[in-house]
Amino acid sequence: MKHRLSLLFLSMQNLTRRPFRTYALVLAIAIVSGAIFSTTTLMWGVNSSLKRGLSKFGADLLVVPRGSLISMKSALLTGEPSVFYMDSDILKTIASIKGVKKVSPQLFLSSVEGDCCVMGNAFIIGFDPATDFTVLPWIEEKIEAIFQMDYAIVGGSNSYNVGDDIFFYGQKLKVFGKLGRTGVGLYDNAVFINIEKAYSMAEESHKLPGVSPLKIVRGQISASLVQLDLGAKLPFISFTISKNPDVKVITAGNIITSVRQNLVALFSSTLILSIVLIIANTLMISAIFSTIINERKRELGLLRAIGAKKISIFGLIIYEATLLTSFGGFLGVAVGIVIMRIYQRTIIFNLKSLNMPYIWPSAASIVLLAVAAIGIAVVVGITGTFYPALRGSKLHPYDAIRAGE
Amino acid sequence: MSDSILVIKDVWKTYEIGDERIEALQAINLDIEKGSFISIIGHSGSGKTTLLSVIGGLTEPTQGSVSLDGADVWKLNDAGLSALRNEKLGFIFQFSSLIPTLRAIDNVALPYIFQKRNNTDIYGRAEKILSILGLSKKLNSFPSELSGGQQRRVAIARAFINRPSIILADEPTGDLDAQSESEVMEFFSEINEKEKTTFLLVTHNMELAGMTDRIYRMKDGILTNGG
Ligand SMILES: Nc1ncnc2c1ncn2[C@@H]1O[C@H](COP(=O)(O)OP(=O)(O)OP(=O)(O)O)[C@@H](O)[C@H]1O
Ligand SMILES: [Mg+2]
Repeated sequence: MKHRLSLLFLSMQNLTRRPFRTYALVLAIAIVSGAIFSTTTLMWGVNSSLKRGLSKFGADLLVVPRGSLISMKSALLTGEPSVFYMDSDILKTIASIKGVKKVSPQLFLSSVEGDCCVMGNAFIIGFDPATDFTVLPWIEEKIEAIFQMDYAIVGGSNSYNVGDDIFFYGQKLKVFGKLGRTGVGLYDNAVFINIEKAYSMAEESHKLPGVSPLKIVRGQISASLVQLDLGAKLPFISFTISKNPDVKVITAGNIITSVRQNLVALFSSTLILSIVLIIANTLMISAIFSTIINERKRELGLLRAIGAKKISIFGLIIYEATLLTSFGGFLGVAVGIVIMRIYQRTIIFNLKSLNMPYIWPSAASIVLLAVAAIGIAVVVGITGTFYPALRGSKLHPYDAIRAGE
Repeated sequence: MSDSILVIKDVWKTYEIGDERIEALQAINLDIEKGSFISIIGHSGSGKTTLLSVIGGLTEPTQGSVSLDGADVWKLNDAGLSALRNEKLGFIFQFSSLIPTLRAIDNVALPYIFQKRNNTDIYGRAEKILSILGLSKKLNSFPSELSGGQQRRVAIARAFINRPSIILADEPTGDLDAQSESEVMEFFSEINEKEKTTFLLVTHNMELAGMTDRIYRMKDGILTNGG
């Protein structure tokens, strides 16, 4: 006959003896690990989409007019900043700082539908193809090699397609290319045009009847994007630029920080809930395992009598809790994945409406989070059973065997 | 004297329940030779089970020492005591003592999992002992599917699985019919003869006691040679 005896086998047999109790415990643990897994996965997704977006963005620094600082930070992630302008002389000043590799201007135009055919709101950004390093490199598909004056490039979340015609302020533009999705809201929703085209469009807008004209003067810009040399001292450069009282410097780092603060605020209630769940479940496991120990006193005494060490009894009980909670943890994670997959549109939509870009974490990250969630479930099990298991292991063998006689 | 397997010196066991003191064992001295078959008789409550559990490393005596195969039982640490229970002792309990979630054969092989040795034929041995005890058809039954007497025989089989040097049998045939009882006793004496296993048998049955090498009598915690 085949060997089947082991502590593991014994624990598994124990779990089958009260199926309802086992199911209930597994389910309770599944809720904890499922909740933790889902919330951390969502947080992770927002966080990594931020990072990915901003690194794709390619700019180490963003220099903006003082007044637009706050709106810029949130705009980068979700959409339109309010528009402020500064003088383009700043570009030369920045370019002259040691450690600065590239500087490129951008001009934001508040969106107004043209007199024909523009669907919804589009945020227009004028950029300079000659110095650009944040737009052209990210085009995923384009109609030809050269970007011409009446071409436009659309962000990854835009509904326009390559080759479409769009109209702004009475001007017809052809969609030259489309960017990949970045998670940076400002880019994903925008329409990019040549900055020269933007200036002339502003001039032309004064002639259009029934449209409030664009109040932009040639030589004004909304932001300058800065790329640094490798090894350049970011704080030093940021400090040097900030000497100009009319501008503010935004770094990728402080955008992530400010969003992360929102993120923490959003999820802190869920985190508190998770902690409460963890504590409640630990106490529940503890109470139930105390009962289990009492029920099995005789058997535990018997196991001692046939040669089980105290530590083996302790191990047997901990083993049982580990099996139970890892199974519960696994179930929670599995159900969490299924639910997130089913409702992924709703989830992403809701996060977007909270200014949070979202990209699913990589498979490796999801595995990591799953393992962590199952790990937490197991820790709940072990912590909860620790004291009952200790008591079980310290039972006086003969009294335990006599119990109930 | 050098052939002693069990030496008990001045063992006392006192239970205190509230103000009441129960002298379950009083000044017990005993020296048992390896391979002997001893029986202990006595009224209910006289202390027979208490004595076996002190010998078997399950109940610590209030006073005195127990030496088993040269080892001072109550001076061993948990690991030593557990190994002794596992390897040297076979305890047959007065009351049912099977693990309800395990089949008969697993119950018999159970002591094996607390062992470091690698005994690959443990199931073969378990099956053999169960067959000798008339349970060859019940190997895969759960305790709840067995009669009281069958359960008792499974518990007996388990006591022998690790070839112990001493068997402590607490009324092992209490709920067996005459036929099974004599089969069990036959098995005991065969093991006793072949493997020089020492037996300490607690019984109410004078006839059984009469078949053993020596009879001790227990009365109010005092052990006398009742030969
Ligand atoms: N754990 C305990 N706590 C208190 N008193 C105990 C305990 N165990 C045994 N006793 C008492 O010790 C005495 C001896 O009990 P023991 O079980 O050894 O008797 P016994 O000879 O085996 O009786 P029986 O033939 O009924 O099995 C009894 O008076 C019993 O009440
Ligand atoms: Mg008794």
